Amino acid sequence: MLLDDKQLWESVLVDIELSFPRAIFSMWFKHTEILRQEDGLVYVGVQSEFVKTWLLEKHHKTLLKLLREKSPGTRALEYVVSKNHDVNKKRDIPVPTRREEMENTLPFEGLYINKEDNLNPRYVFDSFVIGSFNELAYAAAQAIIKKPGIVYNPLYVFGDTGHGKTHLIQAIGNALRSSGPSRRIYYVTSEKFLMDYVNALQNNKVNVFKESYRKYDILIMDDVQFLSKKEKTQEELFHLFNHLSDNNKQIVFSSDKHPSYLPDVESRLRSRFSAGMVVEITAPETESRVAILRAKARQLHFEVSDETIGYLSNLPENNIRQLEGILNTIFCQAQLKQRELSLIEIKTLIKDTQKPRKAVSVKEVIKTVATFYHLDEEIIYEKTRRKEVVKPRQLIMYILREDLHVSYPTIGAKLGGRDHTTVIHSCDKVKNDLKTNNELVSEVEQIRLLLK
Amino acid sequence: MKIECVQEKLQSALSKTSRMTGKGNSYPILSCILLEAKNNTLFIRATNLDLGIEIILPAKVEKEGKVAVPGAILAQYIASLSSGRGVLLENIQDNLVITTISGKTTIKCISNEDFPVIPKIPKDISFKIPIEYLTRGLRSVWYSASISTIKPELASVYISVLNGMMYFVATDAFRLAEKRIQVANVPDYKPILVPVKNVGDILRVLEDTQGEVEVAFNENQIALYIESIYVTSRLTDGLFPDYNQIIPKTITTKAILLKNDLVNTLKTATIFSNKFNQSKILIDPEGKKIEIFTKNADVGENNESIPASVTGEIIEMMINYRFLLECFQSIYTDSVSLECSDVKKPIIIRGVGDTSFMYLIMPMNST
Repeated sequence: MLLDDKQLWESVLVDIELSFPRAIFSMWFKHTEILRQEDGLVYVGVQSEFVKTWLLEKHHKTLLKLLREKSPGTRALEYVVSKNHDVNKKRDIPVPTRREEMENTLPFEGLYINKEDNLNPRYVFDSFVIGSFNELAYAAAQAIIKKPGIVYNPLYVFGDTGHGKTHLIQAIGNALRSSGPSRRIYYVTSEKFLMDYVNALQNNKVNVFKESYRKYDILIMDDVQFLSKKEKTQEELFHLFNHLSDNNKQIVFSSDKHPSYLPDVESRLRSRFSAGMVVEITAPETESRVAILRAKARQLHFEVSDETIGYLSNLPENNIRQLEGILNTIFCQAQLKQRELSLIEIKTLIKDTQKPRKAVSVKEVIKTVATFYHLDEEIIYEKTRRKEVVKPRQLIMYILREDLHVSYPTIGAKLGGRDHTTVIHSCDKVKNDLKTNNELVSEVEQIRLLLK
Repeated sequence: MKIECVQEKLQSALSKTSRMTGKGNSYPILSCILLEAKNNTLFIRATNLDLGIEIILPAKVEKEGKVAVPGAILAQYIASLSSGRGVLLENIQDNLVITTISGKTTIKCISNEDFPVIPKIPKDISFKIPIEYLTRGLRSVWYSASISTIKPELASVYISVLNGMMYFVATDAFRLAEKRIQVANVPDYKPILVPVKNVGDILRVLEDTQGEVEVAFNENQIALYIESIYVTSRLTDGLFPDYNQIIPKTITTKAILLKNDLVNTLKTATIFSNKFNQSKILIDPEGKKIEIFTKNADVGENNESIPASVTGEIIEMMINYRFLLECFQSIYTDSVSLECSDVKKPIIIRGVGDTSFMYLIMPMNST
């Protein structure tokens, strides 16, 4: 029978506990754990250098013997002072804090943002919930952390607002920094990049600007969609990009759109965005939302019933930020009332925070789709069978039917008096195409985004 | 074990080591001091598993061996002896028997089997500096560290070396102290964080030592080698906030005044302070003065003004006078300068002509 790390170590500890006095056990063994095993080499995490030295000098043989008994493949044993341990905290006697004084003194602002790399240390992978909606992006991020600049360069993460793009890319930065403190990492929003560039232009210091960005080993740029129409800045980013990628420096971008759909961005920049790895973070599905809400509630030390979590996770909101906001509201109310809230109370409480679904008119759909495919709106209504018109027209019918639940005859009537059978055929055709044509899938998604 | 050594040296070594023994009685072995006689040397060790110390004393060893003695009792007893004489220590069965010219004492011992090994940090990463630099640096800032351990990185003193300058910084997010000390021949190091509760103990060990200290560290542990003393402490694992960005860049008001005037006024303020330790401070360029106003609804109020040379705009803010008072232990000049930029931005305090020390305090809410 194979035991997992935890079970294995527990069974070893049971034997130890029986053969040593209690004080000795709790002093040296209690807070240890197996961190990982590699080819028979077992890494045991201990809380301090003292424990490491002691176990090595006094109990190494006993521990190794016990481990070999329980898990015959064990070859050797190593002790590592593990970082997550905070047993020291537990040992401390709580000091009465000077609450009253502190309450009124203003704390330093922004003390926690690291100026050098602009990263917020709050964003780490430990607090990142992984679900099917972001696992690809997460895997790509992990690959980059292992081999920055080599595997996927650039990494381009896109997705709707509030899906955790910033969290992911900042966490990449923080992880890279902790694995290599000498790396020069910089996180910048495209807006800040733009401002820096404009300032440099004004002060005649473009060269300084260029140099300042080229020295980084890892550059993380958030929300590149804001560069649309800023041609000069795009050009500057293009040169910067070439310089960094030629030197195998890792670049990470985030945006709300796929590079191909970034409006008013030069094609040479667009093609560079797609050169490495493009991953999408979609809306979290119900299971992930449950996990996110649970994680958030744990952070707040807030007990939430499964019922509430279930209700919240099924709200039409698919924006994580909004979900967190709702949870915060409930938390505040619960604190105020000093009891758990019933589901009915919760429903009334968050009534206002939910935005009403925007009513999209048929006209709007037609207009959006037409613009998306660079067509005149009128041409959709015409009785033409040109390929470039037929596809958008069919898409319009599909979206009207699927998303807006308009009846087949109405759709036909609205689109220049077509028969309802035509509409049914079009919808089925798009549905079938969507199963095989990935390009179409992403186009439909893009259009749906535009309609929101 | 059977050894003979000089009382004074033993006393000083025991007073240093006995402070580092563990408190509380959950692990009785930690409240002990380990005496080990080997090669004409006496090793004295103590640890609380957070800090560890080893002192080497020359001694006449007649029989080698080890014994773990309750630290406080041994230290108290040796301190009570008249100085200048030799003491004979011998372990007989489970007891330590101490013989002096005038008497004989028996102290009960604990099995030394379980006494922790004090980890030795190799000198792979290390540098040497005068001990005085280290004590001055730590003393100048450590009172500003957070006393709560919720954020371990703030309950620590930050030490780093950059371009030949050693930085000591401590902050509890409400005030911040930074001391810079120029050091020669020390390369740059990654910053380390020493838990502030260990800083006090380390400072006491360094108290009457002189010469140089060799500072060695690895990821988890720092060690100090000072002639016959070896001290090691756990390091805090965490990231110290980048404090440079909170230093106000633009100064709108600057006042220079005598340190003693300000200290005396603030001491008066303590009498009338409320539970928030709040004082109102008015810096007035027209009247060339600083006014400090303290009020406690139950006791009374006090308004003092101090002559000062002030440039810039008039400004009035609420501060915690105790935070302000504390920084003067690190300022040795006669005059001090206060620099403000906004009622919501930190005040910078420095000694006039002394660029090595800087202190920031956040104002309080004026409500």
